[in-house]
This record gives sequence, structure tokens and C-alpha cells, in this order.
Amino acid sequence: MRSKRKIIVTVLVCAGLAALAYFAWLLPFWEFASSDFEVSWDKIFSWAYLKTLLPLGIIIALSAAGIVLTVKLRKALAKADKQTRRFAEIRGSRPNAAAPKQKPAAFMVIRWIVMICSAAVLIFGGLIFGLGVSSLSIPVLSCPWNSEEMTSSSCYYLSHLNELFELPIKNILLFFGSSVLFIILLGRAICAFLCPLGLVQDITDRIRRKTKTEGLAMNDRMYGALKPIKWALVLIFIGLCFAGGNFCNFCPMVAVAPILAGISTSLYVSGFLLIFVLIGSFFKRRLFCTVCPLGTLMGLFHRISLFRVKKDCTACTECGACYEACPMGIKQIYTERSKADVTDANCIMCGECVRCCPEDNALSLTFAGAKIYTSSRIKIMSGYEPFTKESEAAGYDRTDKGTDP
Amino acid sequence: MTVQTREQTREQRQIQRFTNRETQTSAKYLRRLTELTGAPEGIEPFLETLDRIYVRMQGADVPKGTRTIGTYCVMAPQELIYAAGAVPVKLCSGNYTAFSVGDDIAPRDACPLVKAVAGFKQTGLMPVYEDCSLMIVPITCDCKKKIAGMLGGSCEVMTLHIPASRGDSDIDSFVSQLYDTAERLEAVTGQRITYASLAESFRRVGYAQQELSRFIRLKKQDPYLIRGSHAMAIMNAAAYMSAEKWGLALHKVNENLKRRAAAKQTVTSKKLPRILLTGSPIVFPNLKIPLLIEESGGIVAGDETCMGERGMWDPAVITDNSFDGMMRALANRALRPCPCPTFADNTQRIFRLKQLIKENKIQGVIYHVLRGCLVYDFEYRRIEEELGSLGVPVIRLESDYNEEDVEQLRIRIEAFIELIKLRQPAEKRTAVRSGF
Repeated sequence: MRSKRKIIVTVLVCAGLAALAYFAWLLPFWEFASSDFEVSWDKIFSWAYLKTLLPLGIIIALSAAGIVLTVKLRKALAKADKQTRRFAEIRGSRPNAAAPKQKPAAFMVIRWIVMICSAAVLIFGGLIFGLGVSSLSIPVLSCPWNSEEMTSSSCYYLSHLNELFELPIKNILLFFGSSVLFIILLGRAICAFLCPLGLVQDITDRIRRKTKTEGLAMNDRMYGALKPIKWALVLIFIGLCFAGGNFCNFCPMVAVAPILAGISTSLYVSGFLLIFVLIGSFFKRRLFCTVCPLGTLMGLFHRISLFRVKKDCTACTECGACYEACPMGIKQIYTERSKADVTDANCIMCGECVRCCPEDNALSLTFAGAKIYTSSRIKIMSGYEPFTKESEAAGYDRTDKGTDP
Repeated sequence: MTVQTREQTREQRQIQRFTNRETQTSAKYLRRLTELTGAPEGIEPFLETLDRIYVRMQGADVPKGTRTIGTYCVMAPQELIYAAGAVPVKLCSGNYTAFSVGDDIAPRDACPLVKAVAGFKQTGLMPVYEDCSLMIVPITCDCKKKIAGMLGGSCEVMTLHIPASRGDSDIDSFVSQLYDTAERLEAVTGQRITYASLAESFRRVGYAQQELSRFIRLKKQDPYLIRGSHAMAIMNAAAYMSAEKWGLALHKVNENLKRRAAAKQTVTSKKLPRILLTGSPIVFPNLKIPLLIEESGGIVAGDETCMGERGMWDPAVITDNSFDGMMRALANRALRPCPCPTFADNTQRIFRLKQLIKENKIQGVIYHVLRGCLVYDFEYRRIEEELGSLGVPVIRLESDYNEEDVEQLRIRIEAFIELIKLRQPAEKRTAVRSGF
């Protein structure tokens, strides 16, 4: 009975998404008086640029309001509940103290630098470096509506396959060649390192960590519920063009990259969707990545990409810290006890599992066989530096304070 | 009138006898520990703590006015207790005298650990038990469940339900249990658990764990750096010391071991058989098995028991820095990495043992079973098979909390050590003459 209801709800949600995508052009979020696809430095440094940024500003303001409302609502609900009442105040407020935090790993610093540079290049690269490599396609969600994108994104032709086959053969080969090359070379590491939408979501997650807001603790049931949605989105992503729709009216990235590049293009459902993505990724790190159709397609090739997650199964204590940390909810990374390679189709190579793994060498990220990031107990424990200023204020110190009765 | 006095004197004599026997046994085991060669510098605070609790019969060494909370398993999160401004003590007992008292109270087939706890509860003579404001009993087996009920009379007792598996929903329900525990602790100590106090207690326990990982790392480098009995005394003392005091004392031991390692100075010049001790908890003063091993010429190079190195090994990894995130980290740490046989599927214990065997270069495994400890006894078969396929000899030693079985244990341990010696390549033995 319950499973039947579950199936019906899932089908309805997926059908709703498909309908939303199909009729996206009927739901405008923001319409400019005239579309303007010109990009130049002069435009970016003019007042008109602020005007094009307006819809993005509205989206951010609405998302912020949504986040604040959600936090408030959750606090009120927790206070009303008998069981959670006592800790509702502590859970809902912003503390001054800091939880133990390990020192930033070189891998993470590099990841952030690469992510920021890549977002800048994919949005403004054409202006800086010219469009010499613009016929190369990288499978990222960085909007190709932005004509000054340095390379093009595979997402456009993958979601408009009918247009792809009208291109000259040279372009088709170049499209597939470069996309496949990047998938083999980097795999879904593209999601964690290059994708600008990933950067946007990581930033919202950073803000949540800074404010120490309680996130959404996911479990395998919730990840299970997202799975059909993910595959429905893949179908929509590929099939919408054949049904006469346009995925770009639905894609949340359309509301970010072109607008930042100074292009005034009208937003349809994508504007509303971006609000959901921002709110969702605030409470659950990289929420959109768990359902991203492009990422799912890339994940199909996870067996051949050069980035791998390796595990030393004897060193693992199955503490599940990797699973708790994983933004994609990959469980077998801690339950696996025989294979050395635990790369999963969903893995985006963000390195979070390695960062949180307390066992020496139990987990590592490798590129073409070379270890680039390895877990270590010492690194984990570096976060538990004792006797900080706070502890002294709380009255603990290194001296013996015991008194005989 | 005379009857009453006689009754009183009888009672007094009983108390006197209990105290005498208890202190004598504990003092004897402490003496055996000190007589064992190769104790590292800095072990004194740990022996002193054991002496204080069991020989001088005083409460745990905590600042005046601080409450102590009794815990009966490592799955009761220490961090939460520190955050409420109290100090946890582990009350699982290894006491022979209390066992003999408890033997009359608990059923015959109950495990000696629980009988000893019941004995202490009956006599009411141990300050470390009597001082507790609250006792947290995770229900890891039937004996623990019943002892929780028995303890209930004189002291507040709270039970923690331990699920049979470690799935996501089990973790979620354990988190809500931890919130209940937090509320109960607050009611007992009168101090609120805040984000700051919880974060601080993570640091305090984290410091102790940091020193423990250094300690284990040093032991791993050279199995002969310290005797396992001494290591076990250090681990046992953690039950009655606050985390930072224990961590600081262990820091000194680590410094000493580091110097030893640099000077290539070991507790013995011979290649003693390296033995891993696993199975039921080994609690002071029931150190007869590690002491027998080391007195019969072996060395306890690894220890996988919950009052030993396993208990504090796993840190609570914070993956989400909110208050709820820290609570989840505690729940996650308590259940998932714990290789306790209370869980239905406990294959991870075998992997843990294999890892310890590899890292500590173990030559033989002694599987300790307390009489009546069913869950550990159940796992013996599987472990024997798995380790047998690796070619590591295993024996099962069943023991009780008394000294009647010591000679029998000694014979078996000596035979086991001889067996390992025969298997290892002879050192400095003259080559077998041949070619005549």
C-alpha cells in the first residue's frame, strides 16, 4: 500500500517536472524589454550592467528570504514539538563559539582556486583570452547562451540533439571528441572542479557553515527518493528537444552565467528553479548535483575516467564519516570491504570523504594511478587542538586541578 | 540489645573483610604491574589513579563540586557528559571481591562483569560508584539490561537502546536518544549544554584521542616499545580520569616512548612472541591474562578490547558544524565504527583484527571470553576460521573473576607461547647439523 503510494507520488512529481519543462516558456520569471547578446568590457563597467544584474539580485534576495523563513519555521516547529523543544533554541541560534575544524588541506584550497578560476574563465574567458578554443566542448553547466564563454558547453547540443545533427560533420566530431576527451580525462571531477553551478552551490554551503546553521541530514531513504527524479531529468534533458521544448528555459544556470556576462536574456522557469537550487543547496550541500542530468550522463563513464577514489579496505573501520560527509550520499564507500576501487557513478571527486576519513591511508583520490590526496589521522586530529582561548575562558587549563576530598 | 550489637559487629566484620580482600587483590595486581620490567616513565599517574580508586577506595579525582556520571559502555558519549559540566567514569568492573558478593545476587550464568557490578551495588562501599549522580547503561546485552534495572534503586539510571544494526534509520533514532540523554544530563547537573560547551568537550576528548593515536602509532612502529600489560593499565585508568588529565599524562608517556624509539631501547632484547588480545573486556584488577602472557615470556603487542585501545580509538568526526551536526557525529561515532558483538552483523571486527595483525606483526591471537559472555563467545568460531585461513594461531581462553583458574590458564598460555616460538625461525640457535 505504502509502496504503491510512493510510486504514484514519484510518477506525479516526474510528470510535473516534465510538464514544467515543456511549458517553461509560458512562465516568465523576468522579461527584458529587448534581448541583448552583446558582451564587452565597456558594457560590464557601465550602469546598464547593474540593470541586467537586477533579476539575479532579485533571485538572490528571494532565496535569502526563503532561507531565513525556512530557518525560522523550523525553529518554530521544533519549539512546538515536545521532544525537540528543549534544544530548539540552541539548534536555531547562531553560536559565537567554533566547533573543532581541521586545518584546510592543500587539495581543498586548490579545488577552490580552480573552481573560481574556471567559473571566471567560463563566464568572462572570451573577453580575456579570445575565442580561439570556443569550438571545444566541456561537459559543464555553464551557460552557452553566453557568447563570450571561452569554450562551449556540451550541455547545449546534448539537450538539442536535433540541432546537433544539422551541423557540419567536422563540428559534430569536434563536439563528441572534446566532450569524450574531457570525460575520460577528468570524469565527474569536472563537477567538483570546473562547473560554475557547483561553485554557486559550494558558496551557499560555505555560508551555511559560517552561520553554523543546521543542514538537512540526508539518509538513504531521501537519496532513494531523488533517484527517479534524477533519471526523469535525464530524459527531459535529452528528449525535450524532440518534443518541441527547450531545456534552456528550464535550466537554472541560464539565470547565472549570461546575466553575469552582461547579457539581458529573458528568464522563464529557470529563474524560479534557481531560487530552489540556492535554498536547497544551502541546506543540503550540492543538492542540484545529486539530480543534475549532465552529471548523471557523465557518471555513466565513471569506469574509464582517470580520477579514482581508492580504498584500503583493511584500514577502514566503517565509521561512516565519509558517508556523512559525502554530498552525493554514496554509501558503498564505507560498506565496501573487498574492492580497492570505490569510484561510483555519482562521485564528483570533491575529496570530502578523504578529508573526513580518520584512518591513515584508508581513502585516497588518485589521478592516473598517482595519489593526490590521502586520508590521515593526524590531519583529522589537527582540528581538535585543545586548550584554545575559549577553553581557557571556560576554566580548563593544563595544570592539574584535582582536589582530594 | 546484645542481638543487635552482635548483628552490627557481624556487619562491620563483613564490611571489614570485603574492604580488606578488595584492597589486597587490587594492591597485588598493582604490585605485579610495577614488578613487570620495562614500565615507561610517566606511567605513575595511571597506576596512582587505579591505586586511588581500588586500594585507597576514594572517588574519582575531580574538582570539588563536579558531578560524576557513571557509564557502562564506550557507546555512552563522553563528550555529552563533559558538555553538561560533569565527568564520566566507566564503571564496568573487573573486581574479584565484588564478584564473589554478586555471585549470590545475580543468576549463575550471568557474566562476571555484571556480577561484580551487582556486588559493588550490594555492598555500597565503593565511592566511585556511590558518588555518581546518574548512570548511563547502554543495553548491549541481556546482562546489561538486567543490571540497569538492579542499579535503579539507589541511583538515577538511564538506559540507551543499542540497535541491532547500523543503518541510517538506526543512527537517526540514536541521535534522538542522545538528545534525551542531554536533557537528562542537564537535569542532573543543572548546567545547560550549549554549542560552546559541546564544542569544548569535543576538543577535550579530542586531545586525549590525539595522544592515544600517537601512543598507538609508536607501539605500531616497534611492538617491543612497551609491555601490553602496562598499556592496558594506562587504558584502564582512562575510566577514572578526566580526558584532559589522562591526555596530559599520556603525553608524558609518549615523550618517553619516543625517546626509547630513538635510542632503539626496548623492553626486552629477545624476540618475544607477539600476541594480540581480543574478546571480552579486560578491566582492572582482572589483568591476570595479560600479566600471565607477559610473565610467561610473551608480549601483548595488540589489544582489541573495549576497555582497552578500541574504546577510545575512533574520533567523532564533525562533518556539519551545527549543534545537530555535532550530535550526529556523536551518534555516528558511537555506533558505526564500534566492532562490538552486540550488532547482528559484525564482520568489521574481523577486518579490524586483520589490520591489527598486519600492523602490529602479530604471531598469535588469544581470544578472551568471560564465562557467560555469550555475544563474544558467539563470534569466536568465525574469527577462528578467518584467522586460521591467514595462518595465525588462535586460542580461546575462558576465565572467571577469581584466581582459581590461574594455573590452568598459565599452562594453556605457556603452551601457546611455546607453539609460537616453535613456529618462528630460530634466533641464535645453532644450525641443525647435517651432512654426516
